[in-house]
Amino acid sequence: MSMLRSSLRNLFQRPVTTAYPNVQADLPQSNRGRVMWEMSKCIYCRRCERVCPTNAISTNKEAKSQTIVRNRCITCNACVEVCPTQTISMVADYSKPDLAPTVHIFSANLPDYNFRVEHLPRGSGSRRPDEVTND
Amino acid sequence: MKRPTTIPIGPQHPAFLEPLNIGLELEEERVVGATLNLGYNHRGMEYALALDYKKTQYLVERVCGICSNHHSAAYCQTMEDIYDIEVPVRAKVIRTIMMECQRITSHLLALGHTAETMGYENLFMQCFRERELAMRLVNEISGNRVHYSINVIGGIKRDMDAGMERHTANVMRELRPLLEDLRDVFARDNTLVKRMKDVGVLTNEQARDWCTVGPVARASGLPQDIREDGFAAYDMIDLKPVVRDEGDCYARTMVRMDECLHSIDLIEECLKLLDEGPVIMTVKGHPTGEGLSRVEAPRGELLYHVKAIGGLQLDRIKIRTPAFLNVPSVQAMLPGSRLADVPLITVSVDPCICCTDR
Repeated sequence: MSMLRSSLRNLFQRPVTTAYPNVQADLPQSNRGRVMWEMSKCIYCRRCERVCPTNAISTNKEAKSQTIVRNRCITCNACVEVCPTQTISMVADYSKPDLAPTVHIFSANLPDYNFRVEHLPRGSGSRRPDEVTND
Repeated sequence: MKRPTTIPIGPQHPAFLEPLNIGLELEEERVVGATLNLGYNHRGMEYALALDYKKTQYLVERVCGICSNHHSAAYCQTMEDIYDIEVPVRAKVIRTIMMECQRITSHLLALGHTAETMGYENLFMQCFRERELAMRLVNEISGNRVHYSINVIGGIKRDMDAGMERHTANVMRELRPLLEDLRDVFARDNTLVKRMKDVGVLTNEQARDWCTVGPVARASGLPQDIREDGFAAYDMIDLKPVVRDEGDCYARTMVRMDECLHSIDLIEECLKLLDEGPVIMTVKGHPTGEGLSRVEAPRGELLYHVKAIGGLQLDRIKIRTPAFLNVPSVQAMLPGSRLADVPLITVSVDPCICCTDR
């Protein structure tokens, strides 16, 4: 009987789920979605690279760039906390799904928070660019 | 005399979320013997965890997806034991709130899974709908849905502001009637009760002999709850362990259901304890020495032992997970039951193979 009551109630309710790819996901503002760099503040101290538990970040001082493998990032917030110049921040939304592992490159040549997208070869898992061999 | 038929259940079976294998001995439809075969999910985590104690706090969460916060809380408590520091009260209270939120999500998953195993998909979806409220709440508090990454050695990372405290209270007020409805279904629905009563009985002596912990032990009349030891903020709140005597699948399900409702009480009590103050304290130097800590995870007692040798690398981390103790007890529950009840009995101990195999 008790289930019948809730079944009837559910019958006249609107669906709880959303049609996700067509409708934007309703993420809370405090969601840790992905890491972003404001490159004009970056001093290339490599602290984020060292603290990253999954080695997703690699800093290139010569090219003035920060590279992040999105598939590796576990959004733990460790790089945001360790940054001495508050260069790194987290935004709520996730990066778009892709067919190959996505690498985002933030560099000083680009405007703040903008990045260049590159793809690792398909099937290279979530290895870092320097770990992928070209065979 | 006829020889019993031997059939394997698993490692891949529609009723199990994770790989485990049970070798069943059957006489007609009756189970006469069961042998558990584990190790399909072994990842060698205890070795990987010992590589860098600062990164370990993120990796320990990956031991298990459903009790991730309890793992990181237990690890941080162990490291705080080594450093010999007392974390701020506010950090302890927020840790407790997060642990109780995770208990609700974990138990609702177990309850939904139990319903699904019986073919009650409707109830399964209802459990998961209610669970989503709690999942969304932890997402708003910590920033992540599954692996919260909120505990650090010396406190917690992210504080709750006044608005979030009010929001948590509102969500708990919203969740309580929904869970009470759900409890009504689990307690009184004819199909469920007939399917679960007197099935897979684990007597009090058996529960003691098989060293069961958590809801499995409490459903067999062993009043064993590590929260009574008073880690985190549990010594400041009024805890009443849920204990039943029947020891069957029904008792185990009802213990989980009642614990969900009790968790709401505990979270509401914790919210009253939140005072102004710091949530994190600085920890200096590399750890040296040994530490031990116990936490009541959703499935029972979770034990961490860490030996540190004064560098980034730790000498050894030993994790004893609750599922490691609970899962073998199905060998005592299965003999005497029917073949059709085997998935239900196995699921009723809430087997987490990720935890068991590490």
